[in-house]
Amino acid sequence: MFELDVATRHIRSRRRQTLFSIIAVALAVGIIIVFMSMMSGYMSILIDSTIENQAHITVMPKEDEDYIHLYHGLEKHIYGQEGVEALSSYFLGEAALQHEHDAEGVLLYGINPNDENRVVNREKDMLTGEFTSLENPGSRIILGYTLAKNLDVEMGDTVTAQIPGAEPADFTITGIFQTGTPVDGTLGFTNLERLQDFYGAGDVVTGMGIRVSDAYAADTMANKIDRETGYDAVSWIEQNAEILNLLETSEGMVYFFYIIIFSISGFGIANILIMIVMEKVGEIGMLMAMGMSRRSIMLIFLLEAGILGMAGVIVGCVLGYGASLAIASITIPVPPEMYFGMDHLPVEIELKNFISASIFAMVINILAGVFPARRASKMDPVEAIYSV
Amino acid sequence: MSDIPIIQIKNLTKIFGDGVEIKALDGVDLYIKRGEFMSIIGPSGSGKSTLLNQIGILDTPTSGTILLNGVDVTKMSDKERSRTRNKELGFIFQYHHLLPDFDALENVMIPLLISGVKSSQARKVARKVLDEVGLGDRMKHRPNQLSGGQNQRVAIARALVNKPSIVIGDEPTGNLDSKSSDSIYELLRKLNREHEQTFILVTHDEQMAAKTDRVIRLVDGKVVEDLRDGASVREI
Ligand SMILES: Nc1ncnc2c1ncn2[C@@H]1O[C@H](COP(=O)(O)OP(=O)(O)O)[C@@H](O)[C@H]1O
Ligand SMILES: [Mg+2]
Repeated sequence: MFELDVATRHIRSRRRQTLFSIIAVALAVGIIIVFMSMMSGYMSILIDSTIENQAHITVMPKEDEDYIHLYHGLEKHIYGQEGVEALSSYFLGEAALQHEHDAEGVLLYGINPNDENRVVNREKDMLTGEFTSLENPGSRIILGYTLAKNLDVEMGDTVTAQIPGAEPADFTITGIFQTGTPVDGTLGFTNLERLQDFYGAGDVVTGMGIRVSDAYAADTMANKIDRETGYDAVSWIEQNAEILNLLETSEGMVYFFYIIIFSISGFGIANILIMIVMEKVGEIGMLMAMGMSRRSIMLIFLLEAGILGMAGVIVGCVLGYGASLAIASITIPVPPEMYFGMDHLPVEIELKNFISASIFAMVINILAGVFPARRASKMDPVEAIYSV
Repeated sequence: MSDIPIIQIKNLTKIFGDGVEIKALDGVDLYIKRGEFMSIIGPSGSGKSTLLNQIGILDTPTSGTILLNGVDVTKMSDKERSRTRNKELGFIFQYHHLLPDFDALENVMIPLLISGVKSSQARKVARKVLDEVGLGDRMKHRPNQLSGGQNQRVAIARALVNKPSIVIGDEPTGNLDSKSSDSIYELLRKLNREHEQTFILVTHDEQMAAKTDRVIRLVDGKVVEDLRDGASVREI
């Protein structure tokens, strides 16, 4: 194609400027790919850790009720739903824990450890002891790492639980856990039956945690349970709506940032094309005299924008890939509470990021070529030829 | 067929400017025969280039008609004008306007490529025409590696490669020394004899004009003299 031939020769005749504009596009694409990879990384770490460390659906008592009374029947009903993998009924109560002169307000979480482990793997958070030591309804307790430190207790020590209107009860520490989140300072696990007993509440629970096979469908399932049982079922998505919304709005802002970066590189392309068009006025006029159509003239310069953009995008993708890998491989000493226990930056290299950055860049680059290309195609051949 | 003038210009007027109006062509009538080798002379600003660009369908008149081979070009669409320029017209300007990023052979191929001829075929034809203008040994040279006279020869080859019926030259030797000028003139003359194409040359060189078969003199956009072989063609 003759138009393509002219376009490539124009580009090749200006090596230095061509190189600069390709580098500009490549840098823009590379930076944005790294950015997208890091955003994806953070997003998926956040979601993964939420899905891992939280029940996908939590069922709570009906309005104006404190407990789920006939919970065995409800358990059966929920187990009957397709996609439910595990269910753990729990009793949650506030209490004061005391050891010698230290006392702390805590949340006591009565569970059946085997059920609970299937909903949220608590075993993996254990620093010492085993989560399943709560299996039998004895007076055993597992404390968060920070809580244990504040109470100055160790494995095998005894702490006293107190609530208003009940006899204090002693619990023996059979494990210490660490999640890297604030619950480490406020939570203690005990056996469900033992805690029901301690609170004198009978065989009732204050809630249920559910794990489903498709965490992203938890919303639908929660609505279904809600509708069918009348209990208040909330998915992890709903519970974390604020954070998820925040991430979405920040993503909108990031797109704004992308547009600015790409526009800068687009200006680079527009600039070199405007210069070529100005330099080639006589040539354009002559091509018109020789019978080249205005469409073909336009095509020449759009092709130039496309070639420059494409070269920049290819280099930029390679650059972005390399930089993402490099960033992913850097280990950094960060406090584990801050980054969900990671020791490096989360980078997720996803094809869709490369594709969207490339398309985004190409659209802007072609747009950058439209103005110079139109200008060339609208020239008056007589003026163009005699302008030299 | 051959006695129908290849170019019939009737009452052609071209006015430039929207504020101060300049009548660059003022009711020009002109018939040009097929194969004629003619020149247009006249003082600077008399409308020579304007007339030539009208014949070359590069510009549109304010009023009047131009028939090329009996077809009114003033009624053509932009696309038809491009096509007609490509097929029927060859252009030589004072500046060669060769594409600097293409070598001589590639430059000569351009009109063929624009008309859709395959590259291999275009190369063959262009080579022959370059030979004909005496540049068979400079095909791979780019414009910046050739002299002014050589570049003008390449431009002439390019104007001829599509075998147009009309070749127009606006001061084709205006940038050359007198020796190169003469050889370019001789070349055009030879080509005219061999191909029976119509040549219309604008020049300010009266001596060169005198060597053409027909001389038209323009003053203030009007034809004031029309001589063939030194004798007046018509009453003005
Ligand atoms: N595009 C234009 N706009 C305004 N005036 C023009 C334009 N082109 C030519 N003219 C005017 O028309 C007249 C004829 O110009 P031209 O045909 O170039 O003369 P020549 O080629 O004989 O020197 C001149 O007065 C010139 O200034
Ligand atoms: Mg002129």
